Amino acid sequence: MSLLAQGALLAADNTVPTGEAVTFWILAPIALGGAIGMVLARNAVHSALLLVCTMLSLGVFYVLQAGPFIGMVQIIVYTGAIMMLFLFVIMLVGRHTRDSLIEVLRGQRLAAVILGVGFAMLLGTGLARGVGSVTAKGLDEANANGNVEGIAKLLFTKYIFAFEVTSALLITAAIGAMLLAHIEKKPGEKLDQKVLSRNRFTKGNYPGPKSGPGVFATSDSVATPAILPDGTFTERSVSKVVPARELTLTEARPKATNGNKQDGEIR
Amino acid sequence: MGLDAFGHDPFWLVIIKILAVFVFLIVSTILMIWFERRVVGRMQHRPGPNRYGPFGLLQSVADALKLALKEDIMPTLADKAVYFIAPIISIMCAFTAWAVIPFGPEVSIFGVRSPLQITDVPVAVLVVLACSGLGVYGIVLGGWASGSTYPLLGALRSAAQVISYEVALGLSIVAVFMLSGSMSTSEIVMSQGENPPIQLSLLGMELNFNVPGWYAILLLPSFIIFMISMVGETNRAPFDLPEAESELVGGFHTEYSSLKFAMFFLAEYINMFTVSAMCVTLFLGGWRAPWPISIWGEANTGWWPILWFLGKVWVFMFVFVWLRGTMPRLRYDQFMRLGWKVLIPLNLVWILVVAGVRVSTQQENGTTKTLVIGGVVLLAGAVILFYPRRKQYVEPATADLGLGGFPVPPLDLKVPPSPRTKKIEATREKASVGTDSKTDTTGEEG
Amino acid sequence: MSLSQWVPLVVLFTLATLFALFSVTIAPYIGPRRYNKAKLEAYECGIEPTPTPPGGSRFPVKFYLTAMLFIIFDIEIVFLYPWAVAFDSLGMFGFVEMLLFIVTVFVAYTYVWRRGGLDWD
Repeated sequence: MSLLAQGALLAADNTVPTGEAVTFWILAPIALGGAIGMVLARNAVHSALLLVCTMLSLGVFYVLQAGPFIGMVQIIVYTGAIMMLFLFVIMLVGRHTRDSLIEVLRGQRLAAVILGVGFAMLLGTGLARGVGSVTAKGLDEANANGNVEGIAKLLFTKYIFAFEVTSALLITAAIGAMLLAHIEKKPGEKLDQKVLSRNRFTKGNYPGPKSGPGVFATSDSVATPAILPDGTFTERSVSKVVPARELTLTEARPKATNGNKQDGEIR
Repeated sequence: MGLDAFGHDPFWLVIIKILAVFVFLIVSTILMIWFERRVVGRMQHRPGPNRYGPFGLLQSVADALKLALKEDIMPTLADKAVYFIAPIISIMCAFTAWAVIPFGPEVSIFGVRSPLQITDVPVAVLVVLACSGLGVYGIVLGGWASGSTYPLLGALRSAAQVISYEVALGLSIVAVFMLSGSMSTSEIVMSQGENPPIQLSLLGMELNFNVPGWYAILLLPSFIIFMISMVGETNRAPFDLPEAESELVGGFHTEYSSLKFAMFFLAEYINMFTVSAMCVTLFLGGWRAPWPISIWGEANTGWWPILWFLGKVWVFMFVFVWLRGTMPRLRYDQFMRLGWKVLIPLNLVWILVVAGVRVSTQQENGTTKTLVIGGVVLLAGAVILFYPRRKQYVEPATADLGLGGFPVPPLDLKVPPSPRTKKIEATREKASVGTDSKTDTTGEEG
Repeated sequence: MSLSQWVPLVVLFTLATLFALFSVTIAPYIGPRRYNKAKLEAYECGIEPTPTPPGGSRFPVKFYLTAMLFIIFDIEIVFLYPWAVAFDSLGMFGFVEMLLFIVTVFVAYTYVWRRGGLDWD
């Protein structure tokens, strides 16, 4: 506490406050480690989580550099919204999916290298300009009326064009998402509850509940189809992903309870 | 008071405040579980827990201890690391949000003048939003890592639900920021203390009046939207689809047990307290005394405000329980429709209306003023006019007889009284309640 | 704006993390440990858990659309916040420019609505 208070006083000259330095040295490895781990992790969800770590660290960095608003926005938008989208997509394709090693795009390695080098150069020149030629006005002047007001003043007066163009970008995003993910339905195609109910009671359809797997069957496994009153098996009671079969003897054996030594030693 | 009052506490005071909040949250959660069971019990004509301690108060303590001593299970199919950290994420986010909740004004604690609030930052409300946004990770990861179907379904539903209602929640706060001109919780409470005079001149008429300070009155639509979306945000009934017991067993925490489950449970209840406290802070004047008490001059000074604050928070907690005891669960599509098609457009229009009224009061020129107000009214009218209506239900002229398929009873079926009812009535002893012999037992036992 | 205002928040965060970490870590040690195969299996109301279909369990693409819409509105909200805070100083100009912004985003919203992107079935 007192360290940081001193640090705030010291911020006037060029020395880095202690509290800020400590936080930086704690979070910088986390941010970097998260980024590297994201590339190296085999599991897609772990990758996404490590990226979340990096994003969170960046958010704290912004707060540290006297930009609390942008720091919180980083956390809310990037970690809260965009990474959530990533997680959804990963869950969408299934948890056991591995990276495909077949390259579909021709020349993507070359393109990746060129773009990567280009991006590094862009970043480098930007950084060089920022460190070298631009004369910084100082945070005190930028945050004179408070950080949020400062941002609002710039965003809604000087950078108004960029701001308005953002709305066009959002429209593009909405249309893109609709094109990619929306399953178009024709007007009559979507059945409402009433129609569904009618269909359920029309001739040739059995409206009662379907028997669950294992009902009257030889075991209570999902893989064993139910037996109808006439003695035949009903395939309908078994999930489509499970091939219908009789269980083996070991599978059909009742599961162990606490007293059973054999199974109690699993862990 | 302002933001400058924060960040000067000595370290021991920070620790005291944090520990106090910590204990407060855990005790409140335990109390809330008891309160919920008692109140729901009352609403359902049963006593609720009443064995341990006076009024069954110690029931939750017993439950908590028992929960801690339960077997901890790590399912075989679980993703070990993620399964382990998911409850931690939930708790982290739930507690951190309380760092910026104001409990009261500046008081003297062991000789140090300090506000009754752990800390406040210029973007305090965003901190709470960020916490609730990150809290979703606990749910999604917990459900995903369990390696089981029900939790995964619950997690996905929950995430979709929370993010849908977070939009409505976030939009409903905008009007508050506009009026208070700040995002810090203590300043928002401060700004609700004054009754600003408003001068409106509309078409030559002069209107002068004092507006009440509480934003719940001033921004009633925002308040209502916030209340609805905060129930959606915390996955509580009638929006408890992620935990729909009849469909998904327990939702995302089906596979969790012992203290890991307790963490999720605790986080869920703390989140309820968080949204209630936020609602009180943003709309109900925070720790400020409500009207009849506020006449007393010292109501808003010293330690009293904690009492008003907690009272208001518990009113919301009662509303949560009340909703649970009253409302059936919504269907998923209806729930999403409410969030996306009603709350969001309503919110945006309301923001524009508030902005229009506010900007028009600033204008010196009378014509501009009228123009802005007229424009806003026009816009609101247009939205109301073009808002799609649901189709009217037309009563079918003839009863539906099932289209010749499976026989169904006609709509206008008159059910004859069961002969058994008569028999039971005849054999039953007359109840000897009161002096009047009016016993109404028809159909009860049939 | 001083960083010292953030310190208590960090302390609370650390404390909460330690509390959660402690609880979750000791859980396996204070409870009974009598494991068996049935307990460690995924819970599906007593029947054998349904095996995951080949290619992993997949999810409706609908959720992706919801997340995308959420991002769009989240960004809009993020712009609305500083605008609302600085509303009085921005005045008429700020009002008109935000009106344009909201109307433009509303166009996207209406498009998604009309195409049925907001319907669940």
